[in-house]
Amino acid sequence: MAAKRPADRPRPTLLILLVAALTLLTLQFRGLQPLDAFQQGVRDIIEPVRSLSDRLTDPVQTAWNGVFGFEALRMENERLEVELARMRGNALTSEADTELLNRLLSEVDIAYSDFDAVVVRILGQPPGNFSAHMIEVDKGTDDGLEEGMAVVTGAGLVGRLEQVDRSRSLVQLATHPDFRVGVRLVTSQDEGLAKGTGTEGILRIESGVRLDAQVDNDEVLVTSGGRSVFPSDIPVGRVIDPDSDADYRRSIIIELAADLENLSFLKVVLPTQKPEGER
Amino acid sequence: MSSRLRVVAVLLTALIAQATLLTEIRIQGATVELMMIIAILAGFHGGPERGALVAFFAGLLQDSLLSVPLGLHALVFPPLAVAVSSLEQRMVRSAPVADAVALLLAAVAGIFTVAAVGLLFGLSPYDPGTFLARIITAAVMTTAIAAPVNRAVRWAVLGGLPPDIKLRAVGS
Repeated sequence: MAAKRPADRPRPTLLILLVAALTLLTLQFRGLQPLDAFQQGVRDIIEPVRSLSDRLTDPVQTAWNGVFGFEALRMENERLEVELARMRGNALTSEADTELLNRLLSEVDIAYSDFDAVVVRILGQPPGNFSAHMIEVDKGTDDGLEEGMAVVTGAGLVGRLEQVDRSRSLVQLATHPDFRVGVRLVTSQDEGLAKGTGTEGILRIESGVRLDAQVDNDEVLVTSGGRSVFPSDIPVGRVIDPDSDADYRRSIIIELAADLENLSFLKVVLPTQKPEGER
Repeated sequence: MSSRLRVVAVLLTALIAQATLLTEIRIQGATVELMMIIAILAGFHGGPERGALVAFFAGLLQDSLLSVPLGLHALVFPPLAVAVSSLEQRMVRSAPVADAVALLLAAVAGIFTVAAVGLLFGLSPYDPGTFLARIITAAVMTTAIAAPVNRAVRWAVLGGLPPDIKLRAVGS
């Protein structure tokens, strides 16, 4: 048991530490570069240890998943086989079928577009408990990645790069409550701002789309591009609740096209060359 | 080895463990808060001042590792260490079960406070639907690894000091 030492000065010490922490927080929110560099430096220093640990624990993880996740994997495999067989038998007569096929084809790396992209491997969730709706990938600034770049699978938008270190990056998933993306409804061509809801696979549009706009169930949405950081025409998802009866504020619910279950690789979309003078 | 070096060694080892092994161990998305348990135990063993200092640097290292603003955990950990130290001095006697429960409550309070302060600074650390479950799961996981961490922290923060110094008034 700790004895109270005569030299203990808890209150002044605590006050100094709290002021120091608040100062750091304030400086960081004001965008002081050395603090970001310090954080990135610490992560870069321990990166080799993390990579080594990842390599050493990979077989253990695989074995763990094989033992405890086998049943779920088998059921998922059966479900996909049934779905694929059904789709082979159907002609691609509707937009919905095309989108669903894209979802399946995403795993075999068939692209829906000709974006320049860097393929990254998913490492898992980042450390700590502040990582809901974030995943870590195995490439960073050394591979030309930058913060804000769009992250996609063959099925569509997954998220954006939130933090980029030298050889690792954090992806903020589209379902993260802080995620925002400009979207366009393919049929009506109405545009709105979709945001993450914190619920797996679900986005919501709360602004932009007119109250009287005709929006149907299953209507496909793509990124709107324009001034957005995301390139245009990346599939985002489909409408599952158009909220057609809204009186004041419309809240359209979207099911995300990209399914992150059992994915191993993603693509980071590299920015296209913009004309001279355009930002 | 001096006490400061021991503290540095324990903190750096914990940081690496947090970044590697413990990140892989997740239950319902929650993981162990190793740096937090070090802050709590530093307050328990080292007293309020030393505990607060160790907790501050543990928080800074935690902030460096995670994608959170620098100073977030460093703001929460020192008061947590001081509170634990203050409670520890008021405990009549220590029993393993009571210590474990106290540790669990401190971990719940610590994780909740970090999440609350994070929200104040515009972070969205948890799903609203799984908020409580994740906090409690993380706290239970953190408490579960307390025994080995306790030995390391006691070794680090007590350093060369005698474990107990009992002062008696003259004539008592």
